[in-house]
Amino acid sequence: MSATDASRARLWLRWLLVLGVAAVLLLLLRSRLNEAHVALVFLLVVLGGSSVGGRRLGIVLAGAAFLLFDLIFLPPYYTLQLADPFDWIVLLAFLVTGIVAAQLLERQRHEAEVATARATEIDRLATLGAETLNAPRPEDALHAIADVIRQTMHVDRCEIEIGGTESAEMTDVSTISEAPLPARTLRLPLAIRGVRVGTLNLASGRPFLLSRDQQRVLGALSYYAALGVERRRSAGAQEEAEALRRADRLKDALIASLSHDLRTPLTTIKGIANEIARGGDQQKAHVIEEESDRLAALVDDLLDLSQLTAGQMGVAPALNTADDVIGAALQRVEFLLQDRVVETSLGSDWAQLVGRFDFIHTMRILTNLLENAAKYAPPASPIMIRAWREGEWLYIAVEDGGAGIPVEEREQVFESFVRGARVAKETRGTGLGLAIARQLAQVQGGRLAYEPSEAVHGRFVLRLPAADVSLE
Amino acid sequence: MSVLVVDDEAQIRRVVRNALAGIAGRVLEASSAREGLDLAASAMPTLVILDLGLPDGDGLDVCRALRAFSSAPLIVLSARHSDRDKVALLDAGADDYITKPFSTLELQARVRAQLRRATPADAKVDRLAIDNLEIDLAHRVVLRDGSEVHLTPTEWGLLRSFVAHRGQTMTHQQLFRDVWGRVEGDAQQYLRVYVGQLRRKLERDPVRPRLIRTEPAVGYRFDPEQ
Repeated sequence: MSATDASRARLWLRWLLVLGVAAVLLLLLRSRLNEAHVALVFLLVVLGGSSVGGRRLGIVLAGAAFLLFDLIFLPPYYTLQLADPFDWIVLLAFLVTGIVAAQLLERQRHEAEVATARATEIDRLATLGAETLNAPRPEDALHAIADVIRQTMHVDRCEIEIGGTESAEMTDVSTISEAPLPARTLRLPLAIRGVRVGTLNLASGRPFLLSRDQQRVLGALSYYAALGVERRRSAGAQEEAEALRRADRLKDALIASLSHDLRTPLTTIKGIANEIARGGDQQKAHVIEEESDRLAALVDDLLDLSQLTAGQMGVAPALNTADDVIGAALQRVEFLLQDRVVETSLGSDWAQLVGRFDFIHTMRILTNLLENAAKYAPPASPIMIRAWREGEWLYIAVEDGGAGIPVEEREQVFESFVRGARVAKETRGTGLGLAIARQLAQVQGGRLAYEPSEAVHGRFVLRLPAADVSLE
Repeated sequence: MSVLVVDDEAQIRRVVRNALAGIAGRVLEASSAREGLDLAASAMPTLVILDLGLPDGDGLDVCRALRAFSSAPLIVLSARHSDRDKVALLDAGADDYITKPFSTLELQARVRAQLRRATPADAKVDRLAIDNLEIDLAHRVVLRDGSEVHLTPTEWGLLRSFVAHRGQTMTHQQLFRDVWGRVEGDAQQYLRVYVGQLRRKLERDPVRPRLIRTEPAVGYRFDPEQ
């Protein structure tokens, strides 16, 4: 502030000096000049001063020139009196001309300033518009807009809220007066063609003080924010369309899987039944049983999947122990695992391994994991089941000696009908086991993830809500 | 000795009839609930095998109707995906259930177990010797590899109930009623934890139990002969 004051004082002094010099020069030539010469020279100084220093300097210069004119150039000299009363007309005309000229110049200059400010503003809005439209992700555009609003409005925080409902605390930009607002936060509705799409939240350490111009800019920026929100929304709609396309692909895969996976065992059943009809054979009868079981399992899988997908799978959480459910799962896949080494590691503190979970669903998850281990890991490698407790969670891990899942397939394997690319064609499976297992974990508040360790590549970890019990 | 098979599908009746040849003296067949109940009342079979999906009667109702006049062992045949219904059936008086598709061997084993239990001479047992275990209910002593195992009162109650109903699937509800003498209670939810404790005292490998088998979602079966 003091720096500008000092420079303004210097400017004023300089122009008063110019006026003085002009007066001295004119004084030297006084005998050969008339009032018109003096008035024109002084007017030039007044115009020069007000164009550089503004209206106030112009008026001060006009006043000073008026006095000098009267004292030095209009007889009787060195008094304020005038010999010829008509000289008052000259003097007053000079004063009025000087002041009016200063006023006009000032208005001109103000308009030029406003024009420059508008140009800057338009430039900024254009940049913002381009950023909004070109940002690779809609979230980035929203961040860019919020940043610009924060800088332009000199507020500490600016957030763009998507959606949101109408509430009483909302402020309309057009109703903000020029007086400082007591509030340190502002909530402005964002709307496109009258439809509410979001909220602009501003927060400042100082009370808000918005000039008319700033309000107008804020209005324009809010519109950009609304456009940004709208863009984010339409991206969401695209995601929905993508989900539908995925569902469609799933359906196609389902039909393909059904036609292949149901036909194969049926063909075997028919063929062997025919052979048996011709001459009894124990071995073949056993194959028929196996194939029937496979068909039954596939039908069960499909039913489960359709229930899970429709969100209709019932859940019956109860206090259960890890050893009981692991035991039941091992019992169920006994046939599959009869040639394999299966180890269990449950630690010494059995009382810790209690959870609140659905026994049937959890047993199903474990049997699916064990079936996978039996199918995909080398026959000579042992399968390890571990259970442990960590705070609020009970963990059960199924580990095998297989190669694990390549990084790019780690999430895909949990999708329906997806099987690893490296899985040999002759290995049988529907590609439903992990998808069902993960969803069964989720419906009971648990989680199933593929979590390889450095030593064990084939490692799935099931997390379930734990429970604390104290008995007799 | 006679076995009554109630199933509307001739193929299943045939499978059961063939499986039971040599175990049951005579196999009676009925293709509807009405016919089955009539035959059960008139012929008084030693054992009844009942399909749940009969066209003319809800499985649960048929179970109760049968139990109203007959105490013959009752094995229920059920399709999978009705695990939770089975509990209600067992609570309604069925003695065991088999899931379709079942193997001939499984059916034969279950029928044998039920017939053995139905034989009066075998009904009450105080002493049992299985493998490395000796159980003497009268003197409240359990020896494992010759040394005594300490059991809490709840564990004793459980073991007593298991031995009394050996070979038979006990629902959680039935076990609870048997051990605690009540229908509902806080301890009911701890039942599975108590069974876990008992297994750790009696089984060689509690994760792979040979004596106290888990019947998922239904209950437990104490099966020393398996």
